[in-house]
Amino acid sequence: MPDELINLTIDDVPVSVPQGTLVIEAAKQAGVLVPHYCYHPGLAVAGVCRMCLVEVEKAPKLQIACATTVAEGMVVRTQSEQAKQARMGVLELLLINHPLDCPICDQAGECELQDFVFQEGRPGTRYAEYSKRFNPVEDFGPDVLYVPNRCILCTRCVRFMEDLAGEPVINVSERGDRAYIGIHPNARLDHPWAGNVVDLCPVGSLLSKDFLHKARAWELDKTASICTGCSQGCNVTLDTRENVVVRVRPRPNLQVNRYFICDHGRLNYRWMNRGDRIEAPLVRRHATDWDEALSRAATVLRGAGGKAVALVSPRTSTEALFLARRLLARFEWTGAFQVVMGDEAPLPGVPDLALRAERAPNARGAELLGYSRDYAAALETSRTAAVVLVIDEPDAAIETAGTLLYLGTVLPESAHGAEVVLPIANVAEEDGTYVNRDGRVQRYFQAKPAPGMARPAWWVLSELLAQVDGAEHCASAAEAFDALAGSTDAFQGLSYAGLGAAGQGITAKAGARA
Amino acid sequence: MAVGVKVMKRPGSATSYVRATLKGMALTFRHLFQPKVTMQYPEEKSTEDWTISSRWRGTHRMLTDEQGRSKCVACGLCPQICPANCIKLVPGEDEQGNRYPLIYEIDEFRCVFCGYCQEVCPEEAIHVGVHYENSEYSRDRFVYDLERLCAQTHPVSTLWDPSDPRGE
Repeated sequence: MPDELINLTIDDVPVSVPQGTLVIEAAKQAGVLVPHYCYHPGLAVAGVCRMCLVEVEKAPKLQIACATTVAEGMVVRTQSEQAKQARMGVLELLLINHPLDCPICDQAGECELQDFVFQEGRPGTRYAEYSKRFNPVEDFGPDVLYVPNRCILCTRCVRFMEDLAGEPVINVSERGDRAYIGIHPNARLDHPWAGNVVDLCPVGSLLSKDFLHKARAWELDKTASICTGCSQGCNVTLDTRENVVVRVRPRPNLQVNRYFICDHGRLNYRWMNRGDRIEAPLVRRHATDWDEALSRAATVLRGAGGKAVALVSPRTSTEALFLARRLLARFEWTGAFQVVMGDEAPLPGVPDLALRAERAPNARGAELLGYSRDYAAALETSRTAAVVLVIDEPDAAIETAGTLLYLGTVLPESAHGAEVVLPIANVAEEDGTYVNRDGRVQRYFQAKPAPGMARPAWWVLSELLAQVDGAEHCASAAEAFDALAGSTDAFQGLSYAGLGAAGQGITAKAGARA
Repeated sequence: MAVGVKVMKRPGSATSYVRATLKGMALTFRHLFQPKVTMQYPEEKSTEDWTISSRWRGTHRMLTDEQGRSKCVACGLCPQICPANCIKLVPGEDEQGNRYPLIYEIDEFRCVFCGYCQEVCPEEAIHVGVHYENSEYSRDRFVYDLERLCAQTHPVSTLWDPSDPRGE
């Protein structure tokens, strides 16, 4: 029976887990984190670091928690004297050659060696008379540096490149205390997903060149977000320091990206810190305040009739897309979003995970709300439209006989003819949702304040809607999303709060209803 | 109606000031013949009886290595520990690939001279100094940059050592 539960005791806490669970995973349920280096939930079990030794009753020797499966009636003690002594010994051996250069190491503060040595290591060394092994820093790939001195040979990087990336260019070279991670002499660590070895490395041995010396781990504020690199919708964490995004890291979501993100997504954050943002609303290119700009835009919308076109960026939140459609509902309405295409780069070891060719995080959301992919046709239609509403950075010049309303983070050449320009926040500065290509609605959170008077696009559109139609103003992304879920078939049954941090799929529900 | 005041009759010995005056003058003249304790600051900066403590925590000094470069590796611990938030640090990388501070500034006006920066420094680079003369003509001169911190020559504080609480 596959879903039979096994009962065991870990540190006097009874737990029930499915058959085949590893002791280290069962221990997490008991609230115990067994120290470990080679084990990673996203990788195959290797059992090489010997760090997770625990005492199992009736077993002759200590067992490694990462390679021992649970058994009925098992009694595990992670904190017994014998287990702690053994782990202290392992840590002492790991530290023989580890340079204590934490002050200049980028991993300091989020280093598992630092954490576990602090937790249960020896207070002093007994190897003071030996000099430490030294190897120079190696350049592994476009974004990866290897510092052999700090390496503890957990082989997570080797297993990632071999099993998941399917490009085994690194291995453990030499043996014994001379061992190090070696790279094939003619190869580079340039797989599109190779950057994950930096996150996987439990110590500061594999470093990101992009993040090198940029910030200390304890200075970073971490915000849950969604990658805007492509339509896969990988869950990420935006690390900000003094309101500047300095790093993007994967956020585990077993349904979407497991523990990984591609290098394209990892490095695709600089535009979030752009300095050339619009900070105040403009009416005919004169800076003004929100009241005047909104009432001007509302007057335009109330006075016009006939055709209206919405040209949106695929990074626009689902809430803003919905409110924009509702705003133009009185007109003969056309909507289109622009999509940049690139190369597809799959991660072979994980099914259905790739850097998608379609570099549009909310393409599916826009489609569900009736926006089309045919941007060129919409551009053509906009020539004769009465109102053209553009959300952020059109890549083509917009020619229209009617009025151009522009909501954007920056003011490109193509939007200079706008009657009203309303500054909006970018993805790092607002709350909202994206729908990924598999129809999963996922929330992203505000990581830093928007510049100047810029507001989230859903706020701007709902203010406009309130002025034009007398509709109720949405005070939060949650209210906007709940209004969307209440009135759009595809999103029925979803609520902003219910999406949680991991998101929810829409396809099953929409299919059931149809 | 007049207020009735009762004037007490006291003997002359109790109301005379002569005795008290002589007593006071005696004290004054006695001090003329005792050793002087006044120090002629700023001509004189320390005397045998009065020197500044080696544990004094004054304006900072950055120690340098043999090549004259600062010993700081920009680890970020001093801005983190600083209770007054007076240290500004931007790390960078030099030509040899070593981590070093691109910008290192201490605002001595904000500083509360707790000495935590010296205590936390893993490289023994930043120190509080045994120094107390800091006058300047403008406020912005009190933000010491790296060059100025390295150029200071005053002795550094020994801080308080818990294992040797009396400084012996």
